[in-house]
Amino acid sequence: MSKYKVLLITRPDHDKATRYLSAWSDKIIQMAGVKDIPVFDLKRKKANKEDLTSFLKKKDPALVILNGHGNIDEVTGHNNKLLVKAGENEHILKGRIIYALSCSSALILGKKSISAGALSYIGYEKDFMLCNDSHKIARPLQDKVAKLFLEPSNQICKSLLKGNTCGKASENSKKIFAKNIRMLLSSDAPLGSSEYAKFLWWDMKAQVCLGDMEATF
Amino acid sequence: MAIVDQKKNEQEQLDQEIKQLVMARLKALPEGIEVSIGSDGSFNKEELIKSVEADDEIGKKMIEVDMQSLQALKEGDFYV
Repeated sequence: MSKYKVLLITRPDHDKATRYLSAWSDKIIQMAGVKDIPVFDLKRKKANKEDLTSFLKKKDPALVILNGHGNIDEVTGHNNKLLVKAGENEHILKGRIIYALSCSSALILGKKSISAGALSYIGYEKDFMLCNDSHKIARPLQDKVAKLFLEPSNQICKSLLKGNTCGKASENSKKIFAKNIRMLLSSDAPLGSSEYAKFLWWDMKAQVCLGDMEATF
Repeated sequence: MAIVDQKKNEQEQLDQEIKQLVMARLKALPEGIEVSIGSDGSFNKEELIKSVEADDEIGKKMIEVDMQSLQALKEGDFYV
């Protein structure tokens, strides 16, 4: 059964990291708007299991972006409440393309989701490390340090919204990670910035695309 | 037994040197930079250095990131 060309995104916002993820997801929502793609935005308290399950059932989105904390077998929502857990409800992801900006979830949840019928699962097999400038916390979108990490992440969504395959979306994301790493290691980079290149490298290496690499939104 | 003790001492010394290296590299982080590590929280460089010194879970993660990234740099795998 084909899904609707609709995007569902979860945006918990209860701590520093999720605040950044939520803010930078505004850009994804804007991109979808430009392409006239309907977006169901589960923000803050709405980023819970019940609303997620309900929207997935009613609106049947082909693309789901899960922002939030997690571990090897789960992704959480607002206030770290469980959203999807391997062995419990990964079946709700069946037939969809998933991008999970969540620590380690690709390791078990990603694989179990594919076994349960998810088309593709792009995620991370280790902790996602995010650096930020403490002086820009009130204005996450102006944080040039966080941009180095979240721009490559957003590239996945940008590529998928443009119709690229999941494999290509991941590849494009990694290219931007690599570009940002090179920039930080160049002699033109601000003093000390090379010291957080290793966190970018870590995230780049941890990103995987599971399932059908040729799947498109 | 003496050989085992010697190896243990060497390993402990190596572990200590690695910790010192990681702590030195963390000291070089620019002021104001914070690192969020999943739901573990957000840490400034002083907190990360203390974690490495204390050998707690965050400290161990910092060591792992550093060691693996340095290995990648050495092998020419840092940009791909």
